[in-house]
Amino acid sequence: MQGGTSVRLYGLEWPKESARISRVFDLLVAAILFLAVSGAFHLHYMLTAGDWDMWIDWKDRQWWVTLTPIMAITFPAALQYVFWTKFRLPIAATFAVVCLLFGQWINRYFGFHLWSYFPMSEVIPALLIPGALVLDVALLLTGNFLFTAMSGAFAFALLFYPTNWFWLAPYRLPVEVMGQLVSVGDYISYAFTRTALPEYIRLIERGTLRTFGGHSAIIASFFSAFVSILMYLAWWHIGMLLARVVTTPNTLKNFMGLTDKDEPAETAQKAIDGTSLQGRFVAAE
Amino acid sequence: MRTFCFRKSSRVLVILSAAAAIMQIGILTFVPDAALAHGERNQEPFLRMRTAHFYDVKWSTNEIPVNGEIVVTGKFRLFPIWPVNLPLPEAAFLGNGTPGPVLARTESYINGVPAIQSTKLELNRDYEFKTVLKGRVPGHHHVHPMINVMGAGPLLGPGNWLTVTGNESDFKLPIKTLSGETIDNLETWGLGRVFFWHGLWVAIAIVWLVWWLRRPLLLPRFRALTEKGGDRSQLVTSTDRLFGAGLLVATILIVFFGFQATDAAYPRTVPLQGSRATVEPLPEVPEQVKVVVNKSNYDVPGRSLRMNVTLTNNGSTPAQLGEFLTSNQRFINHEVSQAMATVDPSYPKELLPPNGLKVSDSRPLKPGETKTVDIEAADAAWETERLSSLINDPDNTLGGLLFFYDEHGKRTISNVSGPMVPVFTDPDNRTAENPKGGAG
Repeated sequence: MQGGTSVRLYGLEWPKESARISRVFDLLVAAILFLAVSGAFHLHYMLTAGDWDMWIDWKDRQWWVTLTPIMAITFPAALQYVFWTKFRLPIAATFAVVCLLFGQWINRYFGFHLWSYFPMSEVIPALLIPGALVLDVALLLTGNFLFTAMSGAFAFALLFYPTNWFWLAPYRLPVEVMGQLVSVGDYISYAFTRTALPEYIRLIERGTLRTFGGHSAIIASFFSAFVSILMYLAWWHIGMLLARVVTTPNTLKNFMGLTDKDEPAETAQKAIDGTSLQGRFVAAE
Repeated sequence: MRTFCFRKSSRVLVILSAAAAIMQIGILTFVPDAALAHGERNQEPFLRMRTAHFYDVKWSTNEIPVNGEIVVTGKFRLFPIWPVNLPLPEAAFLGNGTPGPVLARTESYINGVPAIQSTKLELNRDYEFKTVLKGRVPGHHHVHPMINVMGAGPLLGPGNWLTVTGNESDFKLPIKTLSGETIDNLETWGLGRVFFWHGLWVAIAIVWLVWWLRRPLLLPRFRALTEKGGDRSQLVTSTDRLFGAGLLVATILIVFFGFQATDAAYPRTVPLQGSRATVEPLPEVPEQVKVVVNKSNYDVPGRSLRMNVTLTNNGSTPAQLGEFLTSNQRFINHEVSQAMATVDPSYPKELLPPNGLKVSDSRPLKPGETKTVDIEAADAAWETERLSSLINDPDNTLGGLLFFYDEHGKRTISNVSGPMVPVFTDPDNRTAENPKGGAG
């Protein structure tokens, strides 16, 4: 291992060739993971917060602000468990929302705009990156999932509305249409019709949130932040469960001459008989 | 031997690939590249026969350029024998059935009330609608008026083919905001801001990701965490923490000042508008002719609906049965000139069954007179429109409107509804044993 044939990575000796192959492996996994998370997270997000994220006239101050962070913190939390505990990488949340944003833009541009004729101004996805950066940095600085939940997950939801207001504000300008007051966003979706998604089906703020001042987005953000803490904790543990490698022992291996010589015959026989239930599923961890 | 097997299997692979390619080319060549309608025939017959009946529908033109306008007008009645499995129209919305937003809707009204919001509608009442559409995507489009009812879904009116000519890129939908901004085209409004902010945050995210990805990632880090001798302090260094803290501060500052700047740039904004409109129905017109269905059959082999009905004229003028309307199919009684005069030559032919309506006695029904007549609406439309599948529905009650005319062409409308009994045998009693039919 001397004379330039090895390298030291994080305190451990690596043959140069192994280190090189490991780097190629990094890139391959990163590319595969990018596409896999894009697809899976996008699917999850569309099924849970889809319409709010798709349409400009669904992005209200109550439901959109409440639901989106709660549904969007799921994959970042689960991936943070894996990235942090297995690799000490505080990038899972950012990675997940970048993947999601990639999937959304692909879907909106090719699916909604080119294929279905919707103007891009009607189908802009929400921005989650600032909240995700804060979530990652919270984990980096605290190194603890509970503190990350209380600070990072809270901030993830609180930052959502102001982050999106940057680009959303022009769509909330008032216009008069047929003698009625509506926002630009309302009129865009009225003009570029969705045949099977009429006005009444929108789950938007209709004045039922008592806000004592009209700031429903602030109340919704704080509520969302509280629930996001709980969601973060739940999905961190889902990540923990899914990261466990579970194997099923081959109960037929005795018949195939593959019996482990070190394994007591009694244990092997129990496995064959199915009497040893504990031996059926063995967590590798 | 191994080489031979490899060559053989690769030959099979080549053949399979070629077959797949040919199939794909065939599919792309012979399958139409666009849907020709909106699946209206797939709606259950009871839904189409007993919910919204559209009549007097007119399209101002059949061809417009991009940015040209077409006005669709007409009336609809919400049928009183509303299917029990559908919620009442507590919230309804005037839509337009098009293959996506190929037209832009600029105005719509129900009884003169702007229909940008949803509204409650009443059963057994009539409403007048108007929709103004603007050509956007060139092509040949099937355009329907439509009422969406919460819980019941889209209820389609008659569809007509409309041609939009020109270039899509010429489309513009301008509007001026109440705060003074002039929007040249709603299609592209605000997108510069969207791209800037999305681009900026993606760039910052990439910087953060690359900061970590530039170092050996998976196996070296995993080994350092799990094996003796691994130096964990190198996995997350103090520089990393400093960079992270800086990024945290920068993120919060950008969000805070960006929000302030946006608020300053757009001081007057409104939330999404979600109120409900109030629409009064058209004045109620008493039903001049009372219709009682004594018996109704659908003759399956003859593709014909036959009804035996008792008509009572409660009005002061004679009335002639001129039209039976159901599921957007207009069965016109050719013997009643006033009914024939209502048919616009440009009305979609597929909605006017050529055989029309046969009435056993088309003579005017005098005031106070009661008469029992046989009505027959026979046409292939029962099959092509998939209305005959009513016999497979759990609710096989039919419904429609009967239009009566006096000698001056004044029209009154009566509802007609009753259980439908299918007739599966040939009307001429043709069977395998008796192929010529008749009494045998």
